[in-house]
Amino acid sequence: MSNQFVQALNLAAGLILLTAVLTLWIRRVSTLVRLIALQGVALAVLVGTVAWHGHDQQLGLLAFGILALKAFVLPYLLRRVSTQPGEAETDPLVNVPASLLAAAALAAISYAVTRPLVALVPSAQVRATPVGLTIALIGLFVLLTRRRAVSQVIGFILIDNGIAVVAFLTTSGVPLVVELGSALDVLLAILVLQILTNRIQAVFGDTDLDGLRELRD
Amino acid sequence: MNSAAVVVLGQGVFTVLGTLAAFLPPNRRAMAAGLATGLLGATGFATGIVAFTRPTTMEVGSGLAQVSIRLDPLGGIFLLIIGLLALAASCYAVGYVSGPSASRTSWIALTLFIASMQLVAMAGSVAVFVVGWESMAVTSLLLVWTEHQHSRAVRSAGLWYAAMSQLGFLLILGMFALLVSTGGQSQFLNMHSAVSTGSPLLRSGVFLLALAGFGMKAGLVPVHVWLPRAHPEAPSHVSALMSGAMVSLGIYGLIRIVIEVLGRGPIWWGLLLLAFGGVSALYGILQAVVATDLKRLLAYSTTENMGLATVAIGAALLFIAAGRPIPAGVAIAAALLLVVNHAFFKGLLFLAAGAVLKATGLRDLDRLGGLVSRMPTTARLFAVGALAAAALPPANGFVSEWLLLQSLVQGERGSSTVTALALPIAVAVVALTAGLAVATFVKAFGIGFLARPRSEAADLAVESPMAMRFGMGLLALIVVILGLFPTVVLHRIALATTIPGARPITATWARIQLAGGASLAPPMLVALTVAFGALMAGYVRWHGRPRRTGALTWGNGGVRLSSRMEYTATSFAEPLQRVFDNILRPEQDVSVTPVAESRYLVERVGYEQRVDDVVETRFYQPLLAMGAAWGEWGRRLAPGSVHRYVGYVFGALLIAFAVISL
Amino acid sequence: MNQIAVLAPVLAPLLIALFAGGIGWRSWSWQMLTAAGLIQFAAGVLLAVATTDGSAVTLGSLDFRVDALSAFVMLVIGAVGTLAGWGSRSYLADEVAGGAGSPRRRRQYVTLVPMFLATMALAVVADNLGVMWAAIEGTTIVTAFLVGHTRTRGALEATWKYVVLGSTGIALAFLGTVLVHFAAVQRGVSTLSWMALSPIAGQLDPGVMRLAAALIVIGFGTKAGLAPMHAWLPDAHSQAPAPVSALMSGVLTSVAFYAILRYLPIFTGGGNASPTRPMLAVLGLTSLFVAASLLIAQRDLKRLLGYSTVENMGLMALGAAAGSKFAITVVLLHMLGHGMTKAGLFLAAGRVAHLEGTTTLGSISGLLVRRPQLGAGLATGMVFLLGLPPSALLLSEVGIVAGLVMTGLTWVAIAAVVLLFVVFVAIVRASASLVLGPALDAVQGPTASTTGLLPTWTGIAGTVGLVVGLPWLLPLLTRAAEVVITHG
Repeated sequence: MSNQFVQALNLAAGLILLTAVLTLWIRRVSTLVRLIALQGVALAVLVGTVAWHGHDQQLGLLAFGILALKAFVLPYLLRRVSTQPGEAETDPLVNVPASLLAAAALAAISYAVTRPLVALVPSAQVRATPVGLTIALIGLFVLLTRRRAVSQVIGFILIDNGIAVVAFLTTSGVPLVVELGSALDVLLAILVLQILTNRIQAVFGDTDLDGLRELRD
Repeated sequence: MNSAAVVVLGQGVFTVLGTLAAFLPPNRRAMAAGLATGLLGATGFATGIVAFTRPTTMEVGSGLAQVSIRLDPLGGIFLLIIGLLALAASCYAVGYVSGPSASRTSWIALTLFIASMQLVAMAGSVAVFVVGWESMAVTSLLLVWTEHQHSRAVRSAGLWYAAMSQLGFLLILGMFALLVSTGGQSQFLNMHSAVSTGSPLLRSGVFLLALAGFGMKAGLVPVHVWLPRAHPEAPSHVSALMSGAMVSLGIYGLIRIVIEVLGRGPIWWGLLLLAFGGVSALYGILQAVVATDLKRLLAYSTTENMGLATVAIGAALLFIAAGRPIPAGVAIAAALLLVVNHAFFKGLLFLAAGAVLKATGLRDLDRLGGLVSRMPTTARLFAVGALAAAALPPANGFVSEWLLLQSLVQGERGSSTVTALALPIAVAVVALTAGLAVATFVKAFGIGFLARPRSEAADLAVESPMAMRFGMGLLALIVVILGLFPTVVLHRIALATTIPGARPITATWARIQLAGGASLAPPMLVALTVAFGALMAGYVRWHGRPRRTGALTWGNGGVRLSSRMEYTATSFAEPLQRVFDNILRPEQDVSVTPVAESRYLVERVGYEQRVDDVVETRFYQPLLAMGAAWGEWGRRLAPGSVHRYVGYVFGALLIAFAVISL
Repeated sequence: MNQIAVLAPVLAPLLIALFAGGIGWRSWSWQMLTAAGLIQFAAGVLLAVATTDGSAVTLGSLDFRVDALSAFVMLVIGAVGTLAGWGSRSYLADEVAGGAGSPRRRRQYVTLVPMFLATMALAVVADNLGVMWAAIEGTTIVTAFLVGHTRTRGALEATWKYVVLGSTGIALAFLGTVLVHFAAVQRGVSTLSWMALSPIAGQLDPGVMRLAAALIVIGFGTKAGLAPMHAWLPDAHSQAPAPVSALMSGVLTSVAFYAILRYLPIFTGGGNASPTRPMLAVLGLTSLFVAASLLIAQRDLKRLLGYSTVENMGLMALGAAAGSKFAITVVLLHMLGHGMTKAGLFLAAGRVAHLEGTTTLGSISGLLVRRPQLGAGLATGMVFLLGLPPSALLLSEVGIVAGLVMTGLTWVAIAAVVLLFVVFVAIVRASASLVLGPALDAVQGPTASTTGLLPTWTGIAGTVGLVVGLPWLLPLLTRAAEVVITHG
């Protein structure tokens, strides 16, 4: 295992983790979208590195696909929502320091939970999988604490990116048909969420999810 | 094809025919469907006879879908009861039903109700029993809800009934689960030997679940609360079937499981049954004696009778535990005879109460009266039933109570200390119950049928149609025959008491001889009673008749006697109510309305008195309140916030992580 | 012939969706939806006949494989799909009559419903856990706009919750799938084929599989409506058009549950100490508890039906937790019985919503008197749902509890029975207030038509038919249960 590969891998994974943690800090939606785009690029680099290391052409192509989807298409869709008024600032249910602490805790949980994976294959690739799980959990945390519809979409993308990191680091991705299927599903889900966000804006006046509490017992 | 198959198939055919007849146009529906259900009952009766002459086991299908039918003397007794009651109630229903109770749904439900009760008595395996039992609950629930449009009481009665019978069903299901898991046998026939090696703990579990589950159906205190609600609100022919036949199946289940399958057990089983039975009998009759609603009175009397039967079963268990099969056999015979007699007289009383209800629209004794001249046949038939219920000699009730007391007294000799202490108490309870029963039914008949009508509706009452009188007459005839010749049925009961090695009762047509030495000659007794009655009547007629004067009672100012001066049901029961104040806890409310000008001058005094079911107010209402609080708390689980919901998923995930990492 | 039967349930609804979308909404469009369901049902019957002997029908080029379990779930999809398509008739007609919606939205409706059926069928026939996952995620996307069909505030809110929670849950299931793949690759099997994985279940790394099991159960459990991940369900079911609620409650939850059943032999095979069954037991009991808590004071008919679905899924999870052949057999029976009854009830609730203008429990009463047919349909459906005879659910519920006792989970069984009793009382009380009582006022709103209730009655009759047809169905059920409990 070459040293360069490990460094590139860790750099990409670190970048993905950093962008994920930053989403807890940043409030401005347009910046968040840029962060997501950056994370997409980092993810593509990660996949590209794995492909380059394993001389896997198919995976290389996939890296370009990921770059297109996660660095351009999804941010584009998000921007179409976020350019609308009333979306500039979000005020999370949990403040930033607490969020960061929570992220640290989630990272610890991820490392604890993924021990069996590392124990099974103690390679550099698999050693980085806790990063993926951490990002997914941070995504869940964003879903849990953000008030705006768009922020929840971002949380969902984080979950997806995190799972993608785990998938590519563990086994260089699931079979291609599944990979394509899941990518398509994610794209469609984001599309659906984007349309719904616009509708919520139209019907409720803004996209504060606290307004969505009419269905209750 | 043997006779057993014929009668069982016959029931199936009449069930289908009864269901189909319900689809006829309304003008022909009652006649056709009533005929079909009557024949269904008659076939059930015939099946009961076959069950004695040639006990059979039949199995159709296999695996999960196996249907196992078993005809044996114990089930046979209950088939006889259900069949005859169904026959009488069907005849009665042809004349009785109107409006919702004459609807297609009601007739279908009635047909299926009768069929499922008979299925329970024929069930040879757990699966068939459970299906029959639950069908019986559903169809009777539909029948209780027949008049749902007319009053809130009907709707709430149905709810209580639904909840309680489901609870009972679940308990019984749990009991069978234990039984089957202990012995691996789902056929009743083989269960006894399979379970006899089970651990004492499991056997006691089965016993407790059986007591709770079947006790629920039998209306034992404290799980009786559905009974005084559901029986009054159901159409009367249904009340008769429920109170006479369905409730008896609770006792059937107890005997089948506790005596036949479990058999010998620790001594506390018997004591527990004695306690439950005794409390039920006393509480039931106390509530009955103060009840003013005629059907509610009858319903509480059902609790009393089932309590007595349970006392008998408890005594039997004690004797079995002490290894004394002969008194045990007598006690079971007493339980069965109590159930048989109760079924017919209670059926008769409910039908008669229904006739009154149909003629007057009233169930409140305080507003009835004077019916003996307006509805003479109904009144006489009710009197027969009331005599039986009060356990007075010419009717059938007496023999069963005599047998019960005999078994208790006889068994006392040479038993253990606990038993020797418990049995006299039981005797006292039975005696007290018997006394109160007399008061109850003197009240029911005296206030309800004699004297003057207390309301216009009662004044305008007319006699019931032929079909109804026929149905009641049939039951009255059975009551009298059983009173005169209880040996007709005792003979069969002796077959059904399945204590090995015991032949406790020898019965000829005129004489019952118990193994312990006591004997009774019912025809002689009846003859004596009748002769004594005739003598008294003759004496009164010829010698003691007071001279009639023209003066008006309480007529000082020339006011004619008004029905408002009469004795009422409430006033009749008042002394007893005072005596048992601690148990009954009546609620009284006096409201004084002064005239507008001065508060020292009273315009009106209102007096209201209500006797609620103490068990219900003290035990069930707090439980319901807790349930409601739970419901209100539960609503907070779904506040509508998407963040909260994501949190649920997150929380579940973290907990799962924690568990798998440990 | 059998190969066609494998392909038809996926392809035919897709073609129908294309066609229905292409020509736009027509008043007879519902017939196409019903046809899609019927085709699936017919294919399910053919496949059931072919697989009852324990064999499987495969379509190698597409990695499709149908064994007894798939064939049975296909039957469930087909049966409920037919009912929902048929029920769409009156739903769409009511919408037109009421002036709501638009032809464009109805066109969307008649396109998406067959697509929904196709994605569910794909999840069932695919011999690939990844494709199965993608298909189930696909159902979320397809149904999102069906749930939001009416475009009211409530519908929008319900859709949002549904998509967010559904997608999140399903994403966790994807992570689980990835880990299973990882474990398999380490044993030299680079595939997600169920056929390839289940024989080597015992050799997969236990640590990784434990993590995967937790993720799979929680992930698909979200979609199956197991508490505490159930919260989307009552909202979505109460806001969706009645036929869509019928489909979601009747089969979508069951298809997600099918996914868990598919994973059972992989997780529990080879004697691993898998957390799957304990987790299913806990989630099952939680579902029963949550359903009971929210049913006691429930105020809306459609939410009541939704929580009842949570309860029934919980019961099925308990059966799976018992995991014996007998228990799985009755779980499958429950799946079909519950699907048909619940679909029928949701369609009836749709009629209530249309005729009464509300589904609030307190404001409707006396339906049996005021609208005898509707009242009788609802009442019968409720009786059947509660597992009273002659409903097949009596057998399956007793069976599930017995299955728990037989596998030694006696305390779980006792807790379940207590909670079931509370559920019973709550539903009886609510139903009684709905259908019983006097006709206080004259019938308002449009009068009920008999044809609108036919699907409801068919669903109810189907539940009785299950009891009658049990001797014939039992071999298939047993075979399907064997698929789940076979260990490599």
